[in-house]
Amino acid sequence: MGDKGIGYVKYIMLIINIVAVSFPAIFIYITTEKICDFYTARSFIGRTNSIPKKPDWILVTTILLLVCLLVSFLLREFVYRERMSFVYSSLAFDFLTSCVLMMVLNFNYNGILFWVFANIIYYVQDKVKMIFMLLAILIYVCTDHEFLTINYHLYSINDYISYYNANTQQYLIGGFNVLESLNIIVFILFCIYVIQKQQGIIEKVNYLYSQLSQKNEELENANEELKQLADIKEKMGKTKERNRLAREIHDTLGHTLTGISAGIDACLTMIDSNPQVTKKQLEVIAKVTRDGIGEIRRSVSELRPDALDRLSLESAIRKMIENMTSVTQAEVFFQCDSENLKFDEDEENTIYRVIQESITNALRHGKASKIWVTIRKENSALHLQIQDNGIGCTDMKKGFGTKHMQERIQMLHGTVSYKSENGFLVDAVIPIRWGEEYD
Amino acid sequence: MKKKMIIIGNLIILASIICFCGYKIYQKNHSIVLEFGMFAGSNWDVANANSYVIIDKVIAQFEAEHPGVKVHYTSGIRKTDYSEWYAQQVLIGKTPDVAMILSDDFDKLVSLDVLENLDDMADNDSSFHAEDYYTTALNTGKYRGAQYALPYETVPTLMFVNKSLLNHEGFMVPESDWTWDDMYDICSKITKDLNKDGIIDQFGTCNYSWQEAAYSNGAVLFDEDGKECYFTDQRVIDSVKFAKKLSDLNQGQNVSQDKFDAGNVAFMPLTFADYRTYKTYPYKIKKYSTFKWDCITLPSGPEGDNVSEVNTLLMGIAKQSKHKDLAWELLKLFTYDKDIQLDIFRYSQGASVLKSVTSSKEAEVILSEDTDERERVIDNTLLDVVIEKGIIAPKFNKYHETMILAEGEINKILSDDKNVESTLKIIQRNVISFLKQ
Repeated sequence: MGDKGIGYVKYIMLIINIVAVSFPAIFIYITTEKICDFYTARSFIGRTNSIPKKPDWILVTTILLLVCLLVSFLLREFVYRERMSFVYSSLAFDFLTSCVLMMVLNFNYNGILFWVFANIIYYVQDKVKMIFMLLAILIYVCTDHEFLTINYHLYSINDYISYYNANTQQYLIGGFNVLESLNIIVFILFCIYVIQKQQGIIEKVNYLYSQLSQKNEELENANEELKQLADIKEKMGKTKERNRLAREIHDTLGHTLTGISAGIDACLTMIDSNPQVTKKQLEVIAKVTRDGIGEIRRSVSELRPDALDRLSLESAIRKMIENMTSVTQAEVFFQCDSENLKFDEDEENTIYRVIQESITNALRHGKASKIWVTIRKENSALHLQIQDNGIGCTDMKKGFGTKHMQERIQMLHGTVSYKSENGFLVDAVIPIRWGEEYD
Repeated sequence: MKKKMIIIGNLIILASIICFCGYKIYQKNHSIVLEFGMFAGSNWDVANANSYVIIDKVIAQFEAEHPGVKVHYTSGIRKTDYSEWYAQQVLIGKTPDVAMILSDDFDKLVSLDVLENLDDMADNDSSFHAEDYYTTALNTGKYRGAQYALPYETVPTLMFVNKSLLNHEGFMVPESDWTWDDMYDICSKITKDLNKDGIIDQFGTCNYSWQEAAYSNGAVLFDEDGKECYFTDQRVIDSVKFAKKLSDLNQGQNVSQDKFDAGNVAFMPLTFADYRTYKTYPYKIKKYSTFKWDCITLPSGPEGDNVSEVNTLLMGIAKQSKHKDLAWELLKLFTYDKDIQLDIFRYSQGASVLKSVTSSKEAEVILSEDTDERERVIDNTLLDVVIEKGIIAPKFNKYHETMILAEGEINKILSDDKNVESTLKIIQRNVISFLKQ
């Protein structure tokens, strides 16, 4: 049951309504002529309770309004079908026109409402279709001719029908009633079509929805699996790294230390008998140690942070700050007066880690919104200051990563101090091995 | 697209302006036409040669007072056809702006919403005072308390007296405050078999029915809406008994109007219009020329007055009239203008509906014209009283059918010697059930 079926129903309804609307107007006009021709007007008005004011005017107005409805229907259906603003305004126009039409006909035929509401129901959203169906029935009942005659002077087509003989009366009343009933039946048919179509759409929507929720569930399961896999992979990575570290330590440090230990043992036995050889031996040990240090340095360099590995220290710091600020609300100001920040790897690592740890602390414990990072050179030492505007820390505990920081700096023979007023200040002085080199 | 719409919109506006201007110009060049509905001849079923005189005079005066306004009427419609003609105009939606309204049609036309309620127009017109009309005449145009038509001409019922016969029998014409007893006294002495053939050939009354008796005995038969009737009222019973007493004098003979025309009956109720028609030239030679006659009031019953039925010709304005103000002016000219109302005495057979006109000196002069100087002329102060106190016949839809039903039964009482009280009770019951149908 598609649009084609509904289209046919609409055409049938249109024809029924054109006939049913024009019938009272034409019939009253013709009967009036007849009454006058037979000189029975006085006895006719003696029997009626109300008469139309101007039958010719009613006929002309009815036909005009019908033409209006027809034009509105044709424009809506064939010309401006896509323009919803036109469709809705033409529906409103139809409703008003039909109201005027009913008034002109003194509610002798109000089935035209069904025509208007069938069109409205056809075009409005599914949700409100039902409301319009009920509204159509309600207005139809309220505009019933017999019902309105109780309070208002309304002319009745039945008075005019009663002018004819009993046999003709039966045909006329029967014919008119059949038209009215047919109109109602077609309207009901139309509603059934619309409801069935709507039902089909609901079922389809329900089916699609159930499919969607099924897919959603599957997706969630896959996600969960993926998470587990990621955990496993992380653990595997850690294990791999540990293994590498163990291997590295075993291969380089263990090897070197074993060599050194064995060499020193040999030296100990030789030192008294042959100091000359011992000296040579010690030189060898020193070389092995230096080689070992180189080896260790190489191993450690493989453990360095990614950014530092790839970028210069300044760029790495800026990148880190950028990452930090991108994930928090805080602003970080970085100031550096040294043009070329190029240090040894361990120094760079320390500087990097200190800044990272300080910013992390300022954000996590100090709840700071602004952080200032300054690096400046002074007396062949590097002054590193990280100041924030957070709540500070009155009871300093060396648990917040500060201990770790201190150790790193001490390893480079530097000093670090903390101050907690107007926020928190980390002040580190690192003596830089300018030009100092190990090979 | 938008441009197109704007152009179309402008064209529509332009077209409507042109139409409006055209209509206004058309209106200016074509004078307003007021349709007037009237019938030729008299409303009182008497001959009338001058039916258009007053109408034409009114129209000429009205058109002179209102330049650009024309009054049109269809001539040649007889009174018997008028009701049909008017109904046809109503049906095809061409109800005349101002029209004569027959009293039988009045209630129906008001209930069909054809006639305009005149109360507002009357209230807003400071030159109009409803009190100037006879109350009886004004009330004829009222429906449930509202004025839907104004009276144009009125005619009371009077008692024709054969003066020659009374004088011959040694009676004087009764005074205007005479009673049933006076009438019965005269009738009983006058009713005689003059040629001694065993059949009575001189009678007291003709056409004097229980209804005339009931009116003059203060009886009311129906309520205004025609829902109730009062046939068992003592005043009605007395009226029927009196009518029976009079009818019994005739010993079962049917007294027709021919006998009055031949001069053999002393009293017969007729309208003021009959009096005016046959008292004046040219119709005075046609009827009642063999004896002298006059008009007096109807005799009063024990509980009533010397009153009788008053008939009034009404004029109303159509509800769908487009020129109600002009229609009101025309209606006023017909019914409220003293000169025009005086013309009713000149050219028509009724009496004016304005108190000041009917009781005026001019009216008296007109009434006394054309009559023999020796004859007594109907007194216009008497006329004034008869009209003012007159009775209006009910106008509800079923009135005529109901009265035919009741009269048939009451006539049986008069002829068949039935018990008056019990028969009236039966009539009361039948009429009530007929009214409720």
